[in-house]
Amino acid sequence: MLNIVGKFDVVVVGAGPAGSSAAYTLSKNGFKVVVIERGRTAGSKNLYGGRVYSKPLEEIYPEFKREAPIERWVKRERFSMMVGGELLTLEYYSRNSTSFTAYLSRLAGWMAQKAEEAGAIIVTDVRVDDLYTEDGIVKGIVSGGDVLKADVVVDAEGVNRLILERHGLVPKLLPRQVALGVKETIRLDKQKIEDRFGLLPEEGLAWFIIGNVTGGLPGGAFLYTNTTTVSLGMVVFLEEACKKVQKHVFDILEDLRTSQPFSDILKDGVLVEYGAHLTPEAGLDMAPKKLYTDGLLVVGDAAGFLLNLGYTVRGVDFAAYSGYLAAKTIIKAHSEGNFKAENLSVYQKLLEESFIIRELRRHRKIAKLLRSSELFTTYPEIFVDVARKLFNIEYTSPTLLQSIRESIKGKTSLLSLIVKMLSLVRAL
Amino acid sequence: MSVQALKKIKITEALNTNIWDVDSRPHITVDYEKCRKLCDKKICTLLCPAGCYTLSDDGILFSYEGCLECGTCRIVCPHEAVKWDYPLSGRGVQYRFG
Repeated sequence: MLNIVGKFDVVVVGAGPAGSSAAYTLSKNGFKVVVIERGRTAGSKNLYGGRVYSKPLEEIYPEFKREAPIERWVKRERFSMMVGGELLTLEYYSRNSTSFTAYLSRLAGWMAQKAEEAGAIIVTDVRVDDLYTEDGIVKGIVSGGDVLKADVVVDAEGVNRLILERHGLVPKLLPRQVALGVKETIRLDKQKIEDRFGLLPEEGLAWFIIGNVTGGLPGGAFLYTNTTTVSLGMVVFLEEACKKVQKHVFDILEDLRTSQPFSDILKDGVLVEYGAHLTPEAGLDMAPKKLYTDGLLVVGDAAGFLLNLGYTVRGVDFAAYSGYLAAKTIIKAHSEGNFKAENLSVYQKLLEESFIIRELRRHRKIAKLLRSSELFTTYPEIFVDVARKLFNIEYTSPTLLQSIRESIKGKTSLLSLIVKMLSLVRAL
Repeated sequence: MSVQALKKIKITEALNTNIWDVDSRPHITVDYEKCRKLCDKKICTLLCPAGCYTLSDDGILFSYEGCLECGTCRIVCPHEAVKWDYPLSGRGVQYRFG
């Protein structure tokens, strides 16, 4: 039941990072905003890997760095290829950091609180079922038969775009457009986290692992350190998983957690939560044909705004910033008198001028490369094999070229390896 | 509830570490006839991260109680046998560390 009286300027569907950032910005500018959230609290249905890039959020929320529920600033970036218990790792350490680990449940909760403090009304426990339209113009939302009217609706419903699908604004979501993420949150003594990962207090680690860590499915594993927990999880591309999966995804993750070196690193750890979520992977190729229609703007995961670079993922900052730009659009359209599509088209322009669409365009090619199974199985095998030959010296030590030639035997040719590596470097 | 993370655990043990407020009304329904008649691969039994789909004698057994609300089954089912929505009234899984 929707027990809300009055008329609102804006209804926002979903109190995730995108929805709350839109609501916060609009409320600060004097708009009457209501956010409808299906969870018991804002954030209780949110789940992601574990790391957020800070800069875009600092622009939206001036007090962000001081107030937000940040766990650790990521100062150690680690990328590993893993085969069996052998790892070949590239690590970057810097005292400067532009990203932090956080629990998205808490971060989204904080954003909703900021929106509320700015004057927005956050209604929880309510599932939005549909858009409400008059003469084809979106004029509000429908929940359980009740209608809540507003001048404009911001759709921040997330990756499962049931509302947009019902309304025919996007076709049904396809396996090739998403990946499945599963995550275990493991409580571990603060001192142990710092000792085992080589971190100073408040320093964090972000770790991506490819190789035979995902049961042969294209994708990768991740590990993030929070203050007193570690998040261990994996992401698998769903289309490929549909074809190749042979073991339950949870068991694949358990294989990883209980194998070396993770079993040692996580010793004495206690599992405190297990979750799963889909993540958009097709970027601009899964965006609605129009990100705005008469009375409606689409933001965040629902719009496909997520960037997977293979060694890191950007989702929360893209989502929040798209909400912020949607708010700016509404402010401008209001000054022009109505929320018809022509006035909301500013949103597309703002997105194109911002990092969001520029980044998604630039990295369009990567999406395709990331799906090649060679990248996830054959190449890690080759590189780890080369490393073993180079580092596990008994009597004679081979040259690098010798090691490579031996390791690729029967797997690929030197030329195709070089070509593939170059195309990857170029795409990145 | 929490589980010592030493050896491999069962999915039910992992799900038991979560906070739940399970609705008495299922938010997902499955057309078992379709599973039985049309589907031989039944990838939902491996891809549903909550293990909600299990094999029965000649088909599928589905239980919504441990659903993590990810939406995977809705998308991977090749026969549109899954009628999927989110739970009502804030019910279902309550993420604290999401």
